Amino acid sequence: MSVLKSLMISVSIMLAAVLAGCSGAGENRDEGGEAAGAKWVIGMSQCNLGEPWRVQMNADIRRAAGEHPELKVVFKDAQNDNLRQRAHVEEYVSSGVDLLIISPKEAAPLTPPVHEAFRAGIPVIVLDRRVLGEDYTCFIGADNRKIGKAAGVWIAERLGGRGKVVELKGLMTSTPGQDRHTGFREGIADTGIEIIFEADMQWLEPEARGEMESALARFDRIDLVYAHNDPGAHGAWLAAKAAGREREMVFVGIDGLPQEGQAYVRQGILAASFEYPTGGREAIETALKILAGEQTPKEITLRSKVYTRENIDSDGQWLD
Amino acid sequence: MNADKTAVAVKDRIDRILRSPAARALASLAAVVLLGVIFNADGAFFKWGTHRDMLRQVSVFGILGCGMTVVIIAAGIDLSVGSLLGVSSVLFSMLTIHSGVSPWLAIPATLAVGAAFGAASGALSARWSIQPFIATLAMMVFARGVAKLISGGQKISTAVQQADGSYRYVDVPAVFEFINSSVLGGNITVVTLLFLLCVIVTWIVLDRLRPGRWIYAIGGNEEAARLSGVPVRSVKVFAYALSGLFCALAGICQAAQEQQGDPEAGMTYELTAIAIVVIGGTSLRGGTGGIWLTLLGTVIIGYLEKVLSINAVGEASRLMLTGAIIVLAVLFQKRGGS
Repeated sequence: MSVLKSLMISVSIMLAAVLAGCSGAGENRDEGGEAAGAKWVIGMSQCNLGEPWRVQMNADIRRAAGEHPELKVVFKDAQNDNLRQRAHVEEYVSSGVDLLIISPKEAAPLTPPVHEAFRAGIPVIVLDRRVLGEDYTCFIGADNRKIGKAAGVWIAERLGGRGKVVELKGLMTSTPGQDRHTGFREGIADTGIEIIFEADMQWLEPEARGEMESALARFDRIDLVYAHNDPGAHGAWLAAKAAGREREMVFVGIDGLPQEGQAYVRQGILAASFEYPTGGREAIETALKILAGEQTPKEITLRSKVYTRENIDSDGQWLD
Repeated sequence: MNADKTAVAVKDRIDRILRSPAARALASLAAVVLLGVIFNADGAFFKWGTHRDMLRQVSVFGILGCGMTVVIIAAGIDLSVGSLLGVSSVLFSMLTIHSGVSPWLAIPATLAVGAAFGAASGALSARWSIQPFIATLAMMVFARGVAKLISGGQKISTAVQQADGSYRYVDVPAVFEFINSSVLGGNITVVTLLFLLCVIVTWIVLDRLRPGRWIYAIGGNEEAARLSGVPVRSVKVFAYALSGLFCALAGICQAAQEQQGDPEAGMTYELTAIAIVVIGGTSLRGGTGGIWLTLLGTVIIGYLEKVLSINAVGEASRLMLTGAIIVLAVLFQKRGGS
């Protein structure tokens, strides 16, 4: 009994320490400027921080807000849970933030709390994934289908209109996976590009490597690997390298994060990486306009870049 | 009369062998391989490279399975293996890629941390009588948090972020290239050899050393083991610590194969690890089974995934087929046991 008691006491102390540490670190890390100097508080609700791309989104917001001492941004991570994210939005509303940025996990479950916030007079910027209806201030996002199509066109051009391609798909039950697939097929339509092998690698690098090994075992000639994300393309490259065949083909990925896609292009692993922009910087720019009372468009579609070996040192090239 | 008796004895013996879990597992393996021979994807199944790659892909699961076998024979379960793999792969990558620590130091350090996490799970269940399912579930969540904390939520890769937000690029450490390579004329990967090493270590522990006998005794009947003088608590802590050690090795292999430390690595791997142990024929009730069965279970799962993969079977059918075949293999095992 006494053991149990001491265990519970030590757990409580740990919990208190962690909570204190979090809020302390939060004050220092998350705010854009001096707490006293901050005029506006922005609540940022992120659906999950398990993916590097979303970590990057938060980092982009943090950096952009850091340039404006009048802003203080509070971050919450819903850990891929709709109801937790809903609670976060409600917490922001009751704490009276001046503006809400949300990157929702799913549209339907998060529409009601977003509407409530909007009707309570809090401007809402929706990032990357949509909510239903019209009760928000501004939607900022990129178009996966367009990016997939741009990748398809680029690949067709690179291969001179014909070649054998392996497509490593992202989770095909997710919209980004479907759009990057559909757009790509549109991009290579009416060319001599042949998809000889396709598999769902669920966005995961180890899966992509395993699938690529199967493709390599089956086909003696592969010209190009198109993966729906950069880790997938990297996994495919590792498989080809292990088989001594990495020079036989080129690798193309999507996302273009600085520490992933851009780094792989720089290291000569990928021939190209198509950026899927996070919109973090644009969200802060839009937030400043809204807070200053300016008009903003209801929808902002982000432009994206392609990074290749030729343009990586000049920070990529815009796609139209 | 005498000849009849001998015949009956021989028949009995053959019957016993056929009823043994090992024979059952071998039969399942043969069935899966046959599936590969039939659906050989234009001959891809007949190339040695396919089998080498299958072994590479399943080695990390196999290493986790070694520790899981020990824990399950002791009538426990270890749900934390995937998270411990994640922590270890992040830690090993931070030490070698970012800090440039020599592998001679980084590998023992990572293994020690893995064993310490495992020992903590073991202590929770042995010392404070928290059910292994709950203790290791808590460890699974806690260790995943540790992986995210020390990595800052980012993958630890050769692109190293500087204080000003820009990136510096470093080379992949030689130890990564070595673990990720193939040896013996490119016919077998280093990770597969490491898996086989784990199998041998587990075999020695379980079949050749006293703690092994104690582990079987505890799994068979904990109370009886205690009364006959087995140091139950220490043996349990030892079993989980060994599992943690193997998790750390699996994490090192995972990091080397991905050339980065991913804090999300190993998510749901505990389920595959449990599946290969059970398909091999080790009972979740504890007290029976062995490491050779787990070796067979590992290869069965490996071939199953490979056959589906080289035939580019769609994800939905793949999940359904995998589920169905696991049930069939386990049912087959159960009939053998009864």
